[in-house]
Amino acid sequence: MSNAISRRDFLKVTGAVGAAGLLAACGGNGSSTAASTATSVAAPAEGDVSLTISWWGGDTRHTAYQEAITAFSEEHTNITVSPTFAAWSGWEDTMSTKFAGGVAEDVCQVNWNWLYNYSSNGQTFIDLNTVSDYIDLTQWDEGPLNACVVAGMQQAVPVSMTGRIFFWNMTTFNKAGITEVPKTLDDLYAAGETFQTKLGEDYYPLHLGGYDRMILTVFYLESIYGKDWADPSTSTLNYTADEIAEGLDFIKSLVDKHVIMPLPTYYGNNGSTAANQSNEWITGKLAGIFEWDSAASKYRDALDTDNRDGFTVGEEIQFGDYKGGFTKVSMGLAITKTCQHPAEAAMLINFLLNEEAGASIMGSECGIPASKSGLAAAEAAGAVDTLVEEANSKVLAFCSFQLDPLFEHNNLKADGTGIYQEVFDTIDYDGASGADVVDILLDGMESVGYTINA
Amino acid sequence: MKANNAPAVGRTPFQKWCDKYQGLFYLIPWIIGFVVFKAIPFGQSLFYSFTDMNFFSGISQYGVMNYVDAFTNTRITKALITTFQYSFITVPLKLIFALFIAYILNFNIKFVNAFRTAYYIPSILGGSVAIAVLWRAVFRDDGLINTLIKMVTFGAFDGPSWLSDPSYALWVICLLRIWQFGSAMVLFLAALKGVPADLYEAATIDGAGKWRQFFSITVPMITPIIFYNLVTQICQAFQEFNGPYIITGGGPRNSTTLISLLVYQYAFKQNEMGMASALAWIMFLIVCVLTIIAFTSQKKWVYYSDER
Repeated sequence: MSNAISRRDFLKVTGAVGAAGLLAACGGNGSSTAASTATSVAAPAEGDVSLTISWWGGDTRHTAYQEAITAFSEEHTNITVSPTFAAWSGWEDTMSTKFAGGVAEDVCQVNWNWLYNYSSNGQTFIDLNTVSDYIDLTQWDEGPLNACVVAGMQQAVPVSMTGRIFFWNMTTFNKAGITEVPKTLDDLYAAGETFQTKLGEDYYPLHLGGYDRMILTVFYLESIYGKDWADPSTSTLNYTADEIAEGLDFIKSLVDKHVIMPLPTYYGNNGSTAANQSNEWITGKLAGIFEWDSAASKYRDALDTDNRDGFTVGEEIQFGDYKGGFTKVSMGLAITKTCQHPAEAAMLINFLLNEEAGASIMGSECGIPASKSGLAAAEAAGAVDTLVEEANSKVLAFCSFQLDPLFEHNNLKADGTGIYQEVFDTIDYDGASGADVVDILLDGMESVGYTINA
Repeated sequence: MKANNAPAVGRTPFQKWCDKYQGLFYLIPWIIGFVVFKAIPFGQSLFYSFTDMNFFSGISQYGVMNYVDAFTNTRITKALITTFQYSFITVPLKLIFALFIAYILNFNIKFVNAFRTAYYIPSILGGSVAIAVLWRAVFRDDGLINTLIKMVTFGAFDGPSWLSDPSYALWVICLLRIWQFGSAMVLFLAALKGVPADLYEAATIDGAGKWRQFFSITVPMITPIIFYNLVTQICQAFQEFNGPYIITGGGPRNSTTLISLLVYQYAFKQNEMGMASALAWIMFLIVCVLTIIAFTSQKKWVYYSDER
């Protein structure tokens, strides 16, 4: 009998080996699971280290992160960093699935409420106090830093603080004969009337989507009543149904007085498209927004060349006896528990946010740096967008109320299907009053965990 | 020299066993893929549908609460009704339109291949940002459709607000699906070419007109393909996701929220895998029932040439 390997024998062996390989691949990596549950942190590893990092944002932010990562790798030649990034749309869905599956990147840019939604027991992110040898936590003020403490753990460090402020397209305002930015509610009402009479029915001084309307409602109520929307620690609502109805009627008055575009009109032209991508915003027919201070450049850059120069940071409007509005951590950087090299991951965060070489590249791409050394480095390098800086300083000087983590719950704020959207759709489509829809809002809030005493 | 493929005489029992089962070895990669990516998730989703499984808080309750919720929660029942409306509008219209175009393109006309390609292109575009932009440009208040309506009526009528009026928005996403009739058209075209020409010749000699020939020869002869297209289109219509997701986001006022969109929202926005799984199973059962009805009814209306 011949000892030569026949083609059939070869195929049998390769088939078996291939199948075994597939089985092994499907079996998972036991050691990584074990490592994922470790809480103590080893010193930086000797030899080559690979890290992954993820973020969302626009093109300029992508460029800044990538350049900073390159600079980090030049300084730490044994560490290779692989980035994953995209625009915001759909990003949270992707990341929440990764968090649940334990396959998120080592370092993640996170929204503040993600710490509560996805790591309420500290199951997803490590306590950064365990890597404080590699990340200088003293560079942050106590307030912003403590905002990222969840379940008694420092789960992230704040990249920047943010709040909402008005931005105006003064090119359109000037066309209407208005030369000053609106500073009072009466100015807003007057602008609505002037736009309608001088520019036409399709010009509005301000645009607010469903979630924006809810934020302005809270801003208005805080101005009138001088109390937080809800207790930040217990998420107990501080307002009665009647008070909330008053806030909703305030938004309705803006629609009725032609200050903001009715939602059906907006949908009719844009479907579910974001405002900064709408033809009306780009061409100046919608001449104002109430947005996060860090969103300034996104809205400015979307304007056509005729309108871009007129983009202006407005003033916060005091609707009552108090200065309304809340500030919050706009985003943070966190290290996932599945990270195999937390010390190196902490070094990367420290480089991006605290060290001169990294922070000067990052500039204000993620908002005005909350890190003191990071801000100094960015300012020294001239990498802080003056528009964003102006907006941020106005927000921080004016807004004093606190935000509770449930306010941004997906069931409430989601575009198209969230409760906030449903409330304001009902007002605009059905002509409903605040009293008519307040129960929709309260029921929705209760369903996500608010305590309602209204 | 030609290889000798005859079985060797005196093979060992192991070699004989290998001869008998080696085919299974070749199937192992596929079987593993099927088990890991299909069978296990299938079983898991059935299990999860009877729990309140959440990505981040796990399972705390077992029972049929998701199924009870599905038929009592107005948001879900509305989505179920909308999904039926969507399917019952798109499936027949798409089949009729695809057959109509295939029938025309079956004639010997100039540039027929270019026309066939052009009509097939929408099918390969699928759901994308480009389609969303196109559809908005067509259906926005001052878009192409309303401009045409205004022109045709000499400015007397503005046309509806397609994207913001809940009673019209569903039609916008239905039309997207009907527009993408290319793959059904190609199958009809192949079937039309398979109809024996002598049947038409005989019918012509007997004095049958074109309409009579179409309904008495063409349609009966291509019923197997009509049946195939019907079943696949029903399955696809109930799973439709891209259209409403990219164009309307399920709005306005949930008028285009199909059940697949709810599955996505429950699973990946609210992390409620239990409810998402229950909705997916309800959708699966509905498609199963409709498919069974279609298969049962085919004895009455589908003609197979090898049957007596």
